[in-house]
Amino acid sequence: MLRNALGKAFRFLGYTVQYGCIAHCAFEYLGGIVVCSGPSMEPTIQNSDIVFSESLSRHFYCIRKGDIVIVKSPNDPKSNICKRVIGLEGDKVCTSNPSDFLKSHSYVPKGHVWLEGDNLRNSTDSRCYGPVPYGLIRGRICLKIVFSTKMNGTIFV
Amino acid sequence: MGARVVGTCGAGGWRRARWRAGRASWAPYHCRMLRNALGKAFRFLGYTVQYGCIAHCAFEYLGGIVVCSGPSMEPTIQNSDIVFSESLSRHFYCIRKGDIVIVKSPNDPKSNICKRVIGLEGDKVCTSNPSDFLKSHSYVPKGHVWLEGDNLRNSTDSRCYGPVPYGLIRGRICLKCRTQLGLYENVEHAAAHFNCYSLNFCLLYTP
Repeated sequence: MLRNALGKAFRFLGYTVQYGCIAHCAFEYLGGIVVCSGPSMEPTIQNSDIVFSESLSRHFYCIRKGDIVIVKSPNDPKSNICKRVIGLEGDKVCTSNPSDFLKSHSYVPKGHVWLEGDNLRNSTDSRCYGPVPYGLIRGRICLKIVFSTKMNGTIFV
Repeated sequence: MGARVVGTCGAGGWRRARWRAGRASWAPYHCRMLRNALGKAFRFLGYTVQYGCIAHCAFEYLGGIVVCSGPSMEPTIQNSDIVFSESLSRHFYCIRKGDIVIVKSPNDPKSNICKRVIGLEGDKVCTSNPSDFLKSHSYVPKGHVWLEGDNLRNSTDSRCYGPVPYGLIRGRICLKCRTQLGLYENVEHAAAHFNCYSLNFCLLYTP
């Protein structure tokens, strides 16, 4: 009886580990659903919007200017942030605030990207913490799920 | 296995019937062969994906063997040394000052670098070169670490590219594999008159 119970427990544990690993690799290499929170990407992505992020672009180094990416926060490794890529390595970006009289520019260093939120007035991004290393990028947002009153659920690209 | 020939008449009727029967037995045999081959291929692919995912998660969450190259960590780690890195520390945020870590390079996301953690967030670090007359210090920002190689004269580290975000850390080196070639006179297991490689695992000393 004990052997049966132990055997069942081990088999259950084995299946859990197996499918957990496969699910983790699916999220890591393919993509997953993400719930965004915060006002820094309005009006493109509102608070509590559900988006789908794919991870193939970052593995094949195909992130382009203008993509919206999910990035591990440089200031807090336990959280992720969602910003738009304004400049890739070597690009010239404007580092001063829009309200400043004198504009200052700088070049994005090698292996880094320059991120800014769409809601420039309410976004802490590369203008605060500088260029972000490419290695922190987790995925690229490709779909946003929008619920409208006419239909139950619509997916907009 | 073939179709039973029933009720055909006429001069060539039995030939047509035999041809139909032969064709009926030939088609299922080839379909079965194809289905078996496809089934085996899919099963093989399934096992490959399954064990590939488990191996990837083992490297990601437990650790793995790493071959280090370059002179920037001498004398602690020489060129072509084999080390074992564990990934639990970084997931539980237990990286301490003095640990040797493997980090995704901030300048080149396709390569990894191996340095020692000199300062954690909030620590005061010396950012000037040892040869400078005036020393300059700065504080490590939140969420970053300050890395330096042990071979300070031949190491590009945080003194060049600044503090590195904690999120780039891949693992912490805990063991170094040391190989020796030679005759052994007092080995418990191996015969004394054979040359053999002996793998000695030694714990890396971290000050």
